[in-house]
Amino acid sequence: MHINDLKAFFSTGVEQNIDALYSVALRLTRKNVDAEDLVAETVAKAWGAIDTLNDQDRFRPWLFRILHNVFVSDYRKMTIRPVEASFDQGDDSDDELASLLNEQSDDFLVWWSNPERAYFNDLLGDQLLDAIDNLPEAFRSVVVLVNVEGFTYDETAEVLGIAPGTVRSRMKRGRTLLQKSLWEQRPGSQENTSHET
Amino acid sequence: MKHDIGCLSAIEAFYAYLDGELDDPELIADFEHHLAHCRSCFSRIEMEKTLNKRIRSSAKRESPEDLRDRVSKLMEKF
Repeated sequence: MHINDLKAFFSTGVEQNIDALYSVALRLTRKNVDAEDLVAETVAKAWGAIDTLNDQDRFRPWLFRILHNVFVSDYRKMTIRPVEASFDQGDDSDDELASLLNEQSDDFLVWWSNPERAYFNDLLGDQLLDAIDNLPEAFRSVVVLVNVEGFTYDETAEVLGIAPGTVRSRMKRGRTLLQKSLWEQRPGSQENTSHET
Repeated sequence: MKHDIGCLSAIEAFYAYLDGELDDPELIADFEHHLAHCRSCFSRIEMEKTLNKRIRSSAKRESPEDLRDRVSKLMEKF
């Protein structure tokens, strides 16, 4: 491809994805200024690595993989939480996940199915965003890519450099943690009121 | 008469179905048949769909104009 055609292809691809890049960057960094810097840095790095784009049909996951890599190398170091690395290691976490999912989902469903479901429907965007932002990064990135930006599990695996099976288990766990967080925020919950003994 | 897969199998398929990751037409048909006959699973999937929609609408952002300008200027230099 001629260099001018390549530039035009790249610019169009970036322009088509800039809202999505910013949305994902904002949830990763949780700060507007950092999100803008992350997107700009991603675009610069992506153009520098354009030779690594082997299939133009894969531009979107390729671009978001660079975003994630820049985030990991330049931003996450500043706020790293090492405990997150243990979330999906080993077989025990699958058992724990299944247990948490079943237990939590039943509670959540009972609550959602009763008249208090109005609370769920009235949840403010800010409350939902707080719940997303409080997810450990390993789950937050997967939930945002799949749920918000509509990436497939395979594309998400490509972006994050993990196995598709790990994407699947992180989605389950991420959703469960998100529901747990919303459940604990509901009016009248023990977690949301002062305790008196 | 269609065989019902039961709640346990349905729960296994829940998130893959929601995320469009079920690609076996027979499995999709079995799952949807179960949903049509199980009030609990139907309520659960409706809850998950609503939550997904709310998350999507809350987290989608339009990029700020100054960022778009900044990126445009950056790309002009390439």
